[in-house]
Amino acid sequence: MIRTVKLTTFASLMLAAGLSFAADNIKIGVTGPYTGGSSSMGVSMRDGVKLAIGEINKAGGVLGRQLQAVERDDEAKNERGVQIAQELINKEKVVATLGFINTGVALASQRFYQEAKIPVFNNVATGSVVTQQFKAPEFPDNYIFRNAAHDSIQAPMIVEEAIGRRGFKKVAILADSTNYGQLGREDLEKALTAKGVKAVAVEKFNIKDVDMTPQLLKAKEAGAEAILTYAIGPELAQIANGMTKLGWKVPMVGSWTLSMANFIDNAGPGGEGARMPQTFIQEPNTVKRKAFIDAYLKTFKPKNNRIDSPVSAAQGYDSVYLLAAAIKQAGTTDGPKVREALESLQTKVEGVVTTYDKPFTHDDHEAITANIPVFGEVKGSRVVYAYEEDRQKGSDIRTKAVKKEAAKQPAKK
Amino acid sequence: MEILLQLIYSGVALGMIYAVIAFGYQLTFATSDTLNFGQGEALMLGALVALTLVDGMGLNYWLAIPIVCAFGLLQGAVVERIGVRPAIKIKSEFGWIMSTIALGIIFKNVAENVWGRDDLKFPSPLPEAPMKILGANVLPMEILVIAGAVVMMLAVEFFNRKTIYGKAVVATFNDRDAAKLMGINTGLVITFSYALSSLTASFAGMLIAPLTLTGATMGSVLGLKAFAVAIIGGLTSGMGIIVGGIILGVAETTTGFYLSTGYKDVPGLVLLLLVLAVKPAGLFGKSAIKKV
Repeated sequence: MIRTVKLTTFASLMLAAGLSFAADNIKIGVTGPYTGGSSSMGVSMRDGVKLAIGEINKAGGVLGRQLQAVERDDEAKNERGVQIAQELINKEKVVATLGFINTGVALASQRFYQEAKIPVFNNVATGSVVTQQFKAPEFPDNYIFRNAAHDSIQAPMIVEEAIGRRGFKKVAILADSTNYGQLGREDLEKALTAKGVKAVAVEKFNIKDVDMTPQLLKAKEAGAEAILTYAIGPELAQIANGMTKLGWKVPMVGSWTLSMANFIDNAGPGGEGARMPQTFIQEPNTVKRKAFIDAYLKTFKPKNNRIDSPVSAAQGYDSVYLLAAAIKQAGTTDGPKVREALESLQTKVEGVVTTYDKPFTHDDHEAITANIPVFGEVKGSRVVYAYEEDRQKGSDIRTKAVKKEAAKQPAKK
Repeated sequence: MEILLQLIYSGVALGMIYAVIAFGYQLTFATSDTLNFGQGEALMLGALVALTLVDGMGLNYWLAIPIVCAFGLLQGAVVERIGVRPAIKIKSEFGWIMSTIALGIIFKNVAENVWGRDDLKFPSPLPEAPMKILGANVLPMEILVIAGAVVMMLAVEFFNRKTIYGKAVVATFNDRDAAKLMGINTGLVITFSYALSSLTASFAGMLIAPLTLTGATMGSVLGLKAFAVAIIGGLTSGMGIIVGGIILGVAETTTGFYLSTGYKDVPGLVLLLLVLAVKPAGLFGKSAIKKV
């Protein structure tokens, strides 16, 4: 009798514990600038994340628990990012954090997650150093992952497009004075040197500058045939407008930010023809992508049915599925276990950018390799495939190239 | 030569953008010895209100001008009543500095919530294709800004020199207490000058918005540059503002081209320091001797 009572008590206790355990949501931090100059990326990323979380929850969640996004606006400010990191770790007790649009904010905030052993998923920030901050051998384990095309992929792509494919001999670099612009400029110069070319003009400008005449005149006088850019939307638009004013129009090729809605809208006709590397183009050429685009348009109703930053939305969406797969595999939300699971993902994760087949290893935390991004072009105020060939092959999923195959680049024109 | 001409054109256009904003500083200084440090924000509000009228409600650009000006009048009066009057009343030397800055921040935050923080495009009322003048390109909109600045200067000078109300303004500046004894309602004059200064800022915002981008943060950098222009030109001279604007604008574009774009803001600010050291009242300012 006593034994039965004991058992019953034990069982009911178990049940209670189990219930409260099941009721506990899995909290995921989502941080990015939802206001300000880079908000089109932040908001699109957040919406992509929300979409994926909604789908996963509808299908029963992960480990029988619901996912819950804890959204914080870091305003693209380093100090806000640090505050948010501490809040998410200590107060909200998140399992992992997705986000970071701005390289500077990522670099300032990641330290806290690394120390707390909580995985961080950079789904937009592109600075090359972001995933290298805590790499071996100084740090035994790195908690920083990324599923965005980093700058050391983008810069060579930009140079290849301008020098290799389109055969420009003289190019000028225009970059803004932020961390993003100047780190990108270095990457561009490195990539140009590798091609044996030196930029004829290297100019910079400040955020909020309204006149780009001197920079453009210098490029023009140096005989530049194309302008390579590393900056964000509003200032890129001023470059395009400045070219219209000078009556001097050369192609713009630059980092993926040329796809930002605030560049396309503010530059108007001057922005047409700008080209940039993109991991995702809003074109429903696979079942998964169609479902994603339809759901996004239906849920968030962006203006003119154009996702403000399709790349950010797609990468945000994919990052949730990657994380969910890792939590499922780990069978727990314990940080180190989730990291181990991410580094050895057994299931293939079908995302909208690509299908992730073992995207990470212990020493490689980049899910996107140089063969995945394609070139996008601004055409009719939207970003479309720059090359017909890429568009036709758009439905072929480009999967991550493992190191030894890295030499095999996508077909050159 | 053609390049120098292009740089000068762009510099003049840029300088005029600064100058139209700088007028606002001058107007309030001319009556109450105070400045509205929220000038950049008044400009931003004017531009955003105009954007709502033109883009959102489909009003003609030219018809929207009086409405935006009326809005500016009101906004300026509010700033004076809330922020400046209490400080003047208690004869606080610096209270108005903090309160105008604070009001500026409040306006910015309100604008961020109403219009969002993204930079928006302002549809240009004039063709966006450049015109060729003597071999260099100018945008029609830039000419409009230059014309606007000159008209503003003339209007302000005319008002101050020829009208009875302008004389009241000048009298208030020269000696507030004496003006009061002469029957001038100095409080009203000061309120009016703030209203007028925000009116010019709103109008300036509307003028320059098609050239710059429109957004809640557009005023901060421009407001600061305009302040430099007001100091260089002199806070008491309409002519000075125009010349100061041209000097700063041309200095920026030519340094950017001939030296380095990384240093383009430096010469203008060095000039500012020089002016402050050598002729603190500004290049065209009359140095007033204050008797204490």
